[in-house]
Amino acid sequence: MKTRARLPRLIATGATLALALSLSACGDGNGGASADDGKIHILVYGDATNKIEKQVVDKFNETSDVKAVLDTIPGADYQQKLQTIISTPQAPDVFFNWGGGSIKPFVKADLLLPLDDFIKKNPELESKFLPSVFNNAVVDGKPYGIPMRGTQPVLLFHNKNVLKKAGVQPPKTWDDLLDAVEKLKDEGVTPIALGGGDVWPTQMWFQYLYDRIAGPELFQKALDGDKSAWEAPESKKALKMIRELVDAGAFGKNYDSVKYTNGGSVALVAQGKAGFELMGSWYYSQQLTDHPDFAEKGLGYSAFPTVAGGKGDPKNVAGNTNNYYSVLKKTKHPEAVAKFLELMYTDEFVKSQLDVGNLTTTTNTDEFIETSATPEYSRFQYDLVANAPSFQLSWDQAYPQSAASNMHKAIQQFFNGQLDADGFIKAMQALPTE
Amino acid sequence: MTTKITSAPPAAGLRKEPRRRPAASPSVSTVGRPGFAWALPAAVFFTLFAIVPLVMVAVLSFMSWNGLGSPQWVGTDNWSRLWDDPVMLKSVWLTLLLTALGVVIQTPLSILLGVWAAGYQRNRAVLSVIYFIPLLLSATAVSVLWRALLDPNFGIPAEASWLFGDGNLFGEQATAIGVLAFVSTWQFTPFHTLIYQGAARSIPQVLYQAAEIDGAGRYRQFFHITLPQLRNSMITSMILMIVGGLTTFETVLILTQGGPGTDTTISAYYMYDKAFKGFDFGAGSAIALALVVAATIISLVVVKVSGYDKMRSSMEGVS
Repeated sequence: MKTRARLPRLIATGATLALALSLSACGDGNGGASADDGKIHILVYGDATNKIEKQVVDKFNETSDVKAVLDTIPGADYQQKLQTIISTPQAPDVFFNWGGGSIKPFVKADLLLPLDDFIKKNPELESKFLPSVFNNAVVDGKPYGIPMRGTQPVLLFHNKNVLKKAGVQPPKTWDDLLDAVEKLKDEGVTPIALGGGDVWPTQMWFQYLYDRIAGPELFQKALDGDKSAWEAPESKKALKMIRELVDAGAFGKNYDSVKYTNGGSVALVAQGKAGFELMGSWYYSQQLTDHPDFAEKGLGYSAFPTVAGGKGDPKNVAGNTNNYYSVLKKTKHPEAVAKFLELMYTDEFVKSQLDVGNLTTTTNTDEFIETSATPEYSRFQYDLVANAPSFQLSWDQAYPQSAASNMHKAIQQFFNGQLDADGFIKAMQALPTE
Repeated sequence: MTTKITSAPPAAGLRKEPRRRPAASPSVSTVGRPGFAWALPAAVFFTLFAIVPLVMVAVLSFMSWNGLGSPQWVGTDNWSRLWDDPVMLKSVWLTLLLTALGVVIQTPLSILLGVWAAGYQRNRAVLSVIYFIPLLLSATAVSVLWRALLDPNFGIPAEASWLFGDGNLFGEQATAIGVLAFVSTWQFTPFHTLIYQGAARSIPQVLYQAAEIDGAGRYRQFFHITLPQLRNSMITSMILMIVGGLTTFETVLILTQGGPGTDTTISAYYMYDKAFKGFDFGAGSAIALALVVAATIISLVVVKVSGYDKMRSSMEGVS
């Protein structure tokens, strides 16, 4: 009986609205819990890394008069829930985010505190972090976030055995990749596994190719509101190359039915049914969980290939730069918050993050990398990120959240041929940029 | 096969009424009913959780709100944007198509299964219980299950490529809609089977006995006794299917996310997409309100056309 679903949905909508309205009503009166209880509330995405955030809070509370409280929101709905509470009295003082477009609407709504003053008092709050990472939480020229977890660059992973059998080396250039695609096809395997059902894995191909061909400036221009950027010749060239790759059968035919999130594409590579997969650095731990034997013996990785004649620096990377702590303007304890943020680059913090496999992006990370759970892999990533002139934040996170859904649709439709290049360009131009 | 007339108990129950309240007239329509106070709890909850949100949604559909700050009045902006939105139009057609597919596929299946399950043989009772299981699972679990079962490389399509080809079920519109219709059928047919099973069991056996005496075979009995007697249940079940079809959501959310592209974006999912992914609560509310109005109109039309509102007894010609 499908009618079941209707009532709960109405209730949910009603409750959200009632909540929002009643909260805003009592807001100016007696003030909320977080405003007056003499503590700073820190809101974090709930997952396994929370134990480190808990340690940091405990350590902070040992010395500070103003105590910190760690609140977590578990699950994938973090951004939706954050957006619901952030303009209410229940809003936290400090909160976890992805930088870029995930905080831009909050900046526009004048909810966030620019961190200029903190940095003026303690320049280490900026200088202790890798610039390419720190810059992704800069909005309209002002810094709004301090990196607080690990970086997750996107790498080209491969199955060593499959590549060896086909006589293929990890590709250094785009032509190498096209060549590898043909050889792998001859072997009867899908050259590149792709979880097209999730769409964001498909997007990774777009963001890397655009960066290689046009450099990060073109995307930045589009993000700043100049929609003509999408019509640039570099944009058209990138689209043409994606089209060629898809038409060459690099991803097989059924990629839109495959998902990364249910382990489908992961298993394709692990079982030798596919050669490559382009994925964030968390791929290693995913393989380690799903297919431990393969992860230790057969999983290889390399940087995204270079593109001859491209304007982008071949050392650029793309992916999730890091997560950030941002501060609400209305916090009652800015000094305590500043002290708390200074803990994000201590040696102890870096070591405990490396212990659980998170690669921090502080300048002192270099010294401790050998203590990481996977030293070789961490070293590769760190050098990649530290040497990258630019770190392209994933497109759907660089744009405001409200654009992500339509962006994904356009990407999927271009990839499977429902949209041509002009259709894709129009769809991208229609996205909101603020 | 028992020969007992199963309709006896309810009739007796009705006859008791006048005895308890001697003042009332013996006619059924004037039998005393509980006062309004009895309806109060339900009325309060319905007002609080259905009417009030509905009014709020109606108000919000004339505002622009991204969840931050205060909503702004924008007049009929949301509505005119929706009117011109090709995806919205497409979503309406997709919703109607999926609803129609649901009714067309599930109704014959559940009538046959229900009538079959109405027999009192023990094996039928056992099998009916097994058939009922999909309904006990949450729509979310069912959708996750089928997404995994239909994985092109490791699921059923990989083993049966003669039927599924390259297995790109979620990558093309026709097959994606097929999957949605199939999964809904798999999950909700048991419920409608249950309705028909109950209805088939309450058909008086005397009708079949008379037919047998007159020399009517099994098929004639089915088409001339069973089907006409199931008429009211059929309408009930179809209204549930239509309303359910119009508000289908979880299945799409988990199986296809409205994709490929917007090819399975039905109206209810488009509402979610606008409101909770695009943070455009105004447009989302407009779609929600349009859905409520559309579902109400369609239900009313079905009720009128089918004569359900006249509540004719399915027992005519019996007592």
